[in-house]
Amino acid sequence: MTDYAKQIIASRRWLCSGQIPSAKQAEEGGCGVVGFACNVPVSGRHIFAPSMQMHNRGNGKGGGIAAVGFDPDKLGVSREVLDNDYLLQVAYLQPQVRRKVEREIIKPSYTIDHQAWAATIDDYRDIGLDAEPPAVYRYFVRPAPEALEGFAKDRGLEGLSDRALEDEFVYQTSYRLNKRYYASLGDKAAFVLSHGRNMFILKIVGYAEQLAQYYKLEDFRAHLWIAHQRYPTKGRVWHPGGAHPFIGLNEALVHNGDFANYRSVTDYLRQRNIEPLFLTDTEVSVQLFDLLARVYGYPLEYVIEALAPTTELDFDLLPQAKQKIYRRIQASHIAGSPDGPWFFIIARNDPANNQFQLIGITDTAMLRPQVFALQDGDVQIGLVASEKQAIDATLESLAAEDERFSPIADRYWNARGGSHTDGGAFIFTLKNDASGPTLICTDKFARPIEIPSAQQCRFGKAKPTSIDHEHLERLLAEPPGDDTAIQLFELAVERTADWTFENLAAFCQALQGYRANSDDHKQTALELLTLLNDRKYPVGNKKPASVLEWIRQTLRNILLATPKISDQSTSRFQLIDCRTASGLRPPADGEQVLVIDAHDFPPEGPQSDASLLVGAAELGWKRFIAFNYAGQRFLGCGLGPDTAGIRIDAYGSVGDYLGSGMDGLELHVHGNAQDQLGQILKSGKLVVHGDVGQTFMYGAKGGEVYVLGNAAGRPLINAVGRPRVVINGTCLDFLAESFMAGDPLNGGGFVVLNGICLDQSGNLEELPTPYPGSNLFSMASGGAIYVRDPHARLVNEQLNGGEFANVTEEDWNLILPYLQENEHLFGIRIEDLLTVYGVRRPFEQVYRKVKAVRLAVLASMIQDSED
Amino acid sequence: MKAKEAPERFRNPIGRYIILRDPDLCTRCGTCMRTCPAGVFSVTDKLALRPRDWLCPGPCESGQFACVQACPAGAITVRANPLLNTLGDFRWPAELILDTWEMARSGRTPAADELRYNLGNSGGGFDRMRLRFPDKPAKKVDPAKVDLSIALNRRQHGQPLTIGVPYYGGGMSFGSVSSSTMISRARAFASLNSLVCTGEGGYPTVLYPYDHHVITQVATGLFGVSEETIQRVRMVEFKYAQGAKPGLGGHLLGDKVTASVARMREAVQGSALFSPFPFHSVYSVEDHKKHVDWILAINPDAVVSVKVSTPTDVDMVAVGSYYAGAHVIHLDGSYGGTGAAPDIAKKNIAMPIEYAIPKVHGFLRDEGVREKMTFIASGGIRSAHDIIKAIALGADGVVTGTADMMALGCIRCGACESGRGCARGIATTDDELAQQFDPEWGAQRIFNLFNAWNSQLRQILARFGLTSITELVGRTDLLTHLDYESSELAHDD
Repeated sequence: MTDYAKQIIASRRWLCSGQIPSAKQAEEGGCGVVGFACNVPVSGRHIFAPSMQMHNRGNGKGGGIAAVGFDPDKLGVSREVLDNDYLLQVAYLQPQVRRKVEREIIKPSYTIDHQAWAATIDDYRDIGLDAEPPAVYRYFVRPAPEALEGFAKDRGLEGLSDRALEDEFVYQTSYRLNKRYYASLGDKAAFVLSHGRNMFILKIVGYAEQLAQYYKLEDFRAHLWIAHQRYPTKGRVWHPGGAHPFIGLNEALVHNGDFANYRSVTDYLRQRNIEPLFLTDTEVSVQLFDLLARVYGYPLEYVIEALAPTTELDFDLLPQAKQKIYRRIQASHIAGSPDGPWFFIIARNDPANNQFQLIGITDTAMLRPQVFALQDGDVQIGLVASEKQAIDATLESLAAEDERFSPIADRYWNARGGSHTDGGAFIFTLKNDASGPTLICTDKFARPIEIPSAQQCRFGKAKPTSIDHEHLERLLAEPPGDDTAIQLFELAVERTADWTFENLAAFCQALQGYRANSDDHKQTALELLTLLNDRKYPVGNKKPASVLEWIRQTLRNILLATPKISDQSTSRFQLIDCRTASGLRPPADGEQVLVIDAHDFPPEGPQSDASLLVGAAELGWKRFIAFNYAGQRFLGCGLGPDTAGIRIDAYGSVGDYLGSGMDGLELHVHGNAQDQLGQILKSGKLVVHGDVGQTFMYGAKGGEVYVLGNAAGRPLINAVGRPRVVINGTCLDFLAESFMAGDPLNGGGFVVLNGICLDQSGNLEELPTPYPGSNLFSMASGGAIYVRDPHARLVNEQLNGGEFANVTEEDWNLILPYLQENEHLFGIRIEDLLTVYGVRRPFEQVYRKVKAVRLAVLASMIQDSED
Repeated sequence: MKAKEAPERFRNPIGRYIILRDPDLCTRCGTCMRTCPAGVFSVTDKLALRPRDWLCPGPCESGQFACVQACPAGAITVRANPLLNTLGDFRWPAELILDTWEMARSGRTPAADELRYNLGNSGGGFDRMRLRFPDKPAKKVDPAKVDLSIALNRRQHGQPLTIGVPYYGGGMSFGSVSSSTMISRARAFASLNSLVCTGEGGYPTVLYPYDHHVITQVATGLFGVSEETIQRVRMVEFKYAQGAKPGLGGHLLGDKVTASVARMREAVQGSALFSPFPFHSVYSVEDHKKHVDWILAINPDAVVSVKVSTPTDVDMVAVGSYYAGAHVIHLDGSYGGTGAAPDIAKKNIAMPIEYAIPKVHGFLRDEGVREKMTFIASGGIRSAHDIIKAIALGADGVVTGTADMMALGCIRCGACESGRGCARGIATTDDELAQQFDPEWGAQRIFNLFNAWNSQLRQILARFGLTSITELVGRTDLLTHLDYESSELAHDD
């Protein structure tokens, strides 16, 4: 420990009462968290959109936001004051104590450069709040010189640099205020919301967007925002002291999850003279972060390692030098490392380095969902959230206001907790310089995530010229046949690389005209656009996300142009949405496809789109196109047994539990899917043209499933029976743990793991390893994994109960039909899968089998004794 | 179904006494047969049968064994059955087992002091609590008119669901018990207008006739759970944890994974099956809400129960379940559990149920949601008194498990999980062992036991001056705990 750290820790001895409750005050759980960092300041309304969609991740009993990087004028101060002063925000739960608090603590401690009430609307009830939010008073302060001097002397902190001393002074002064006016009182009177520089925190009892409304932040701009919907289990909450975010010094932290070792972490902190005052694990999380980062002075990488240690195979794969350091970090801090499910989002001002940071860290076991995204074009924005649709909602909201933003990010990804690959954490850094901030995205190891620069053009912002493709134009003029869509697709992608956005605009316009000809034309146009949405193809110097926006918007417009179910029409397609849901009726003669605009439906419950679909199926509808999803859950659930013949195609940000319980139907997701997909899936076909989230196919019994991209943590855990799954990407970890799917060669189940991805031109690329996790097929007693591993990268250490075996002719014949269907669905050719370094190899040199071993402890004793 | 004699299925059941008739001395005069009120003796002039000593309840009113006194030839001897020294355990002492068997046989309460068949000898838990009867009830109540029914759905959503007795059958999976056991329980609980839970082993077709009275369990292994099994029933139970092994998953050893069990669970014969802990899809209260929403998406009418063990923060879990939209919070304490649950878990983890019940009851009340939530307790409910105690502490009703097994003739040997399973054919799926009894007999035995309990419950409530079991909820004033109160006990006089 450095002398500095020793000094600071010693100086805090007085902060501890020794009477620290060992239990948390309230359990809380999943919670919705979202954050974004942008190189241009954006207004608070955009943090709204996702938080409204995450209502079902909170219960309206705590919402909070933090913002970093302001415009000084908007706060009534100079740039110098904004940059150098501490922005002290105090929540007065009893407004009458303000004078007393100021007299006792604030005025003697600080020189106040500016002060004001945080603006609010007149009546909190107008926006549906039940509890009056605290009156928030805002002070721009510097420690008063004489107070600071006395502090340094009393606490033995002489010799600290000025700023370090000031930081600690502010930290301890706030601690004193909280202790005196919050923690020690039955009736809470006041507490410090935040005290960092150029940043603040606000919290209320309500939803996060009500906060933005109440404190008039809708048009207030900042570079970095984080928001949190809380789900406390204690019902009667009258003030938001326990709501997230919590403050360190210059950082605010929101948290999704729940520690199992709260006691151990508080003991660890207590040994370092820190006591929690608000008794939530979020508070101790940020206390940990501040301790590691500011007091111990660890670089961010080591802070992350102390919080989420690298373990198992991942540890062994670290470079020797890193192992040496990490081992020491772990030895020192493992008792303070939060155990159990957690995911942190941290917003931070790092004035020493003149930068703002947005940090997302996931726990080693990846027990909470998390998605990162990056957009880098006319503007730069990095996002992190507990659900992908929160990111989509933010981008949609930004894109609607400012055309420099695109509604689709350039890249979406998950972190792999405690890994040697990305470290389970990503950092968006806004580096400030004379020309304004620049956004850089890096992982824990400071490796950058970069987006190649390309032309950007929002939908509708290019003037249609011509398609410039005679053959394509000719085919568009002909009546469609069965495979016209595929022909059109093949023709179009010949030219997509060369097309300008004007050509693309003309193509989209042509399709609009084309679909109006007849239902067959419309069908063909939808198939074509679906292919263009699902597949990868060369797009030249255009941004792939921009091209995708054009395709998706055209597709959406065509679907929106479907005749409404309430109108008289003879179309085979009938549109229903939230407003017309009550008009649901059986299909009339010739009506075949029910098109569901899911956007405004509630995310769950009897009024949801998923319920509507169940009702429609009961009335005889069999074919569904559901689009415009904004996280609505349970699509394809509730249809009951024997649903063969039903097909659902879903577009947009579909929600959790999709297809969980499927028994016979066919469900195609044209994009990424979320968590808990295909649980207990019994039979039928599920196709995902993208990634899938956590606990995919947990407890599944069967079905045929194809995933174009990756699966997150814990796919196919406890699956039994005969699920047959092709995953073209990889999985984060714990694939097929406790797999009990019989003998695959005798009707049992298996997973084909290809470990590849497609580049933007649709060419197959091998991932660095087909499976990066430390646990593959653990404790499995049946089924098999067929993994494409031509370089034998997988090792025995990754197995915990399984064993490697050669792929026999019989095995190959078993999986071949599934690879053929995989080729048909995603265009991933078996030919390409079997080609390694440009050479076509026999299957047994490319694929390996992981199969169950009969473990003595698990096997039948009776049978053994008979053997 | 009505209570009627359902004799033991073995030729020489275990009794309290060994009664011998010396054939050399016996004259077959028949005096013993005429003297004995319990029907132990059967004598004709041609033949004297071996005395049915298991029927002997103990000394006659005179304090003596009348048969011994009356026999003119001095041919009869009575002595205590030494087997009683080895039968049972502290939680289920031999006397309690014998009386439970008797109730299951006759359908009536034994003639003995009610404490004999309502207490164990564990030195804690319900065994240190007594009912505190008033000298005179505040109100004169006719026991026959006491209402034992409780509502399981007190919320706005889902269908109404009321059961006729304040208890239902806990989850025992196909795999842990035989199909005869499952059918026996289902029939008995259906006759009582109550419910029985499938446990985590699928929904065998033999239960289809009882759909209306079945609870589908959704547990962490998700074995045998499908939309169909969720849609068949009126109530669905999430098993987050089990009181007997909190923090541990389920584990069915390879031996019990027979062909039929493997088929039901769609797994491999002979390979052990794991249920993980916890639900891999639920790591928080919010995930829990999503989980409940999922079940309601599949079966919108379902009443949803959340079964958890009793960690110290169980009150938070209960409130969280309310906000998640569940109808029933089910606390499973650690006194139950079959031989398969590891002792170290049964005896050392989580809070005793008698502490957890008032804690949760009070917390729900303080939150203002007690009236909307049905609160069920379980884990070692052995008798009518246990039911009264759990409800007086704050639960609305209870769940039974082991008691049902006792009615079927369980001898508490504790070897449920090993080898081919239960020697008595109850907790087994071995084809041969499972043939030992007919479900009709099994159902009658279980029904008989509960019939005896019901009449006790009614008597007790009448003595308290209560007309409905719902009036008993939270009436801790009607209980006393021997360790904490020196006050005299109603029973002691």
